[in-house]
Amino acid sequence: MEVTSVVQLDQTKAKDEYPNLSLRPLQVSDVDDFMVWASDEKVTRFCTWEPYTNKEDGLNYIKNIVVPHPWLRAICIDDRPVGAISVSANSGNDKCRGELGYVLAFKYWGKGIVTRAVMMVVETIFVEWPHLERLEALVDVENVGSQRVLEKAGFQREGVLRKYLIVKGRSRDRVMLSFLSTDYQS
Amino acid sequence: MEVDLSKITLRPFKLEDADDFLLFAGDDQVTNYLRWQTLSSKQEALDHIKDVCIPHPWRRSICIDNCSIGFISIFPFSGEEDRFKANVGYGVAVKYWGHGIATKALKMAVPQFFADFPDVVRLEAFIDAQNLGSQRVVEKTGFQKEGMLRKYAYMKGKLRDMFIYSFLSTDLPANP
Repeated sequence: MEVTSVVQLDQTKAKDEYPNLSLRPLQVSDVDDFMVWASDEKVTRFCTWEPYTNKEDGLNYIKNIVVPHPWLRAICIDDRPVGAISVSANSGNDKCRGELGYVLAFKYWGKGIVTRAVMMVVETIFVEWPHLERLEALVDVENVGSQRVLEKAGFQREGVLRKYLIVKGRSRDRVMLSFLSTDYQS
Repeated sequence: MEVDLSKITLRPFKLEDADDFLLFAGDDQVTNYLRWQTLSSKQEALDHIKDVCIPHPWRRSICIDNCSIGFISIFPFSGEEDRFKANVGYGVAVKYWGHGIATKALKMAVPQFFADFPDVVRLEAFIDAQNLGSQRVVEKTGFQKEGMLRKYAYMKGKLRDMFIYSFLSTDLPANP
């Protein structure tokens, strides 16, 4: 598919619509807010992980995975975490590529929050990581809401990868979407 | 040159294949779209056979009259979420291009591999957008093109667009 579209993010308008939305590091002190979305099976339905059942596991996750993560931010409303968004890093010949992931507490679904958070990541990640050429996301074929979020944020759908992952014991097809550094014009 | 495709066989590599191995693995035209560095000596060929080909989970020599003219590698991923997937790669000596040998070899390899690795359900091949010959090989073998991955990875120092193809165990014909 020819890639000719360029996403021009209307930054002023978006800031007005979401004046209290911000991204910041997720900390151990955020664990109670973390547990709100991480223990909810509606939220984890398409995730590769099971819902968290105790705060100890949540603390360990934040200490061992979140804190050393190459790029992970809490999605905050009025500085309270309501979700998280991250970009993974690769090495060697795959260094040009990072994978986007995100999760949001159920109560906040349907308001365009994740779309806005994704746009904020797109605005900064290619600057923070000049070696990054491609941001990609792999979304479950049934997770139509998430596919729409990414398309609204300017990602291009590249295809369906059949039985790409085993999630909770079942093979799942995943839609591959990408956003290139050259797709972005500030 | 006439090639009788019924004479194509697959077998594991042996150290004795080193000279033949060097003929294709030492050729830039063959390694152009592979992650390998082109080999430059018989010693390197011997080392590669000993250190890579022989311990490999599934690498086969493509042979004519038991003489190695190429390779097929199918490499299962590790990791809990990925171990049911494997990556396909292959190469044939330039002298033998244009006879359908890679296609024939891949058609033989796919069912053999699924039989050897019954947990694997998905084979995938990442093929450079400019590598038309290889795209034809996988398409004739029955792989499905799933999409083009833009600027997916570096290959020999250049950022490449790649087509992703897959062959699932459920794609195997019921009566091969």
